[in-house]
Amino acid sequence: MDTTLLQQMLLGALLGISVYLPLRCGQLSLATPGFYAIGGTVAALLSTRIPALGGDGVSYPISSVLLEMALAAMVTGILALGIGKVVLRLRGIYLAISTIALVEILRVVSLNLSFTGGAIGIFGIPQPFASPEGYVGFTSLLLAVVCWLCDRLERTRPGLAMAAIREDELAAASQGINTANTKLLAFVLSALVAGVTGVIAAHFLNSWNARMGNFDASITTLAFVVFGGTRTWLGPVIGGLVLTALPELLRPVGDLRLIVYGLVILMGPVLFPQGVITPERLSRWSRMLRQRLRLEAPTP
Amino acid sequence: MDDLLQILLNGLSVGAVYALFALGYTLVFSVLGVINFAHGAIFTLGAYFTYLLIGGGVGSNGLLAGFQLPVALPFWLALPIAGLLSGAVALGVERVAFRPLRKRNADPLLALITSLGAGVILVNLIQLLMGAESHSIPTGSLGSLPAALSFGGARIRTVQVLLLAVSTVLVGLLTAWIDGTRSGKGLQAVSEDPVTAQLLGINSGQMIQIAFGLSGFLAGIAGGLVGLSVSIAGPYFGIGYGIKGLGVLVLGGLGSVPGAVLGGLIIGLAEALVPSDLSGYKDAVAFGFLFLMLLVRPQGLLGKPLPNKV
Repeated sequence: MDTTLLQQMLLGALLGISVYLPLRCGQLSLATPGFYAIGGTVAALLSTRIPALGGDGVSYPISSVLLEMALAAMVTGILALGIGKVVLRLRGIYLAISTIALVEILRVVSLNLSFTGGAIGIFGIPQPFASPEGYVGFTSLLLAVVCWLCDRLERTRPGLAMAAIREDELAAASQGINTANTKLLAFVLSALVAGVTGVIAAHFLNSWNARMGNFDASITTLAFVVFGGTRTWLGPVIGGLVLTALPELLRPVGDLRLIVYGLVILMGPVLFPQGVITPERLSRWSRMLRQRLRLEAPTP
Repeated sequence: MDDLLQILLNGLSVGAVYALFALGYTLVFSVLGVINFAHGAIFTLGAYFTYLLIGGGVGSNGLLAGFQLPVALPFWLALPIAGLLSGAVALGVERVAFRPLRKRNADPLLALITSLGAGVILVNLIQLLMGAESHSIPTGSLGSLPAALSFGGARIRTVQVLLLAVSTVLVGLLTAWIDGTRSGKGLQAVSEDPVTAQLLGINSGQMIQIAFGLSGFLAGIAGGLVGLSVSIAGPYFGIGYGIKGLGVLVLGGLGSVPGAVLGGLIIGLAEALVPSDLSGYKDAVAFGFLFLMLLVRPQGLLGKPLPNKV
């Protein structure tokens, strides 16, 4: 398989997780592209403007990438903490609209600031890996870590509290769940994942501009989660992988990328209200797989 | 002083479009309590319909390259027809993106997602068929009318006068319909409580369709007028208005007809008052208002207070 496509699929899976986290507590936030753009901008600025990090225009040490990721996580995390405290008082449609506004404000501001390169953006971001394979390896590792953390989260109290809020916020609150803090946690974690993903994406794409975090990106990432479902982290991961690959595979037919995403988010909630990947379906599939394997195994 | 008058006139005519646009959102929101995210795409469609109906040819990209309708209608006839066609598309969107969810009593938030999907499909179908390039409606389409009028020392383009006039008339008609007629009262009843309205003999399903049809018609008209005023900058040009329209909607108060008009005018004027050295930030004005409003007064300037859901 094409390694560049594979890398894009991995980035898609990470962004899918970022949109999934607030939705796990029933909060539709479309802010992911905004935090993704901030993460990328942090990486682009640090690696091109600060010689001490070791960027010589061509190669770049991996340790500096890790440092950028830590800084991007700090910036997006603090920002999300402040913004989340305010916008998470809003519910439903109001929250969705306010996050759209947030992404648009960030985009307009970054288009107009001179140090982010304005409409042209930042070019010549140094490469920590000589080949796409290096990126794939690094991003796979990151995805694995994020997935493992999500899996831990879903088995512990905060993760279960998130699911409880999604089912019924009032009932969750009456069971002693601090709904405000739980929602804030999901929002901040979502921003962290998006910011860190932006760092890798900026290096991988070699250039970064304000259009990285536009409304289009909101739609794309939302489609990942609508397809994958909001019940388990595996859903958006599979959604991100499949839906990034699908339009590329359909490329011979024409540029159908956004039409495919449009169809997914139009038909998904109607045909699969829980998403395609649900815990029930997963266990059924794995049961079927095991049965098939048992049938094929020679009887002793 | 003349400068200020000029700025006010420009702001007013832009604001009138925003108001017309937000009214379409408001109609659907008031009956269903959800936002139709496909509204911006229908606005775009209205512009393209108008362009095709007055005899405009498709550029060299897209599947319909070089296509041209055999008839060339005058603008005043093409615009309402484009509005009707847009209304029909809005009815289709209701059928595909809203009705299945309503039948299942699903979370209204899901309709936000499905209508977004419908909008994305519409916009990209336009792109597939007609290419991504911009089309402009020739200014000569207004016939013998002069290009601009002089108004107390300020110049205002005839298109802008037309925008202002059409918006005012449509807003007036809509208000008269909602407040003064039986079907308009029916719409209000459905927006209050669809089940009770149904029990009282109002056909809720039909009222919802009327709301969608009207909202599509308004979007189509607004699209055609803006297309004439500033040219159609590709299939995505309605999306920008669509997102800005949300700002107008929240500023005025979701579901409030006078609120949508007031919000549109305020944001239009505020954008016109942005000094030219900061003009890059003009697009952020609506979102700034939106953000502030949601934090300070989520029900908007003229909206009803939000009920606490229990």
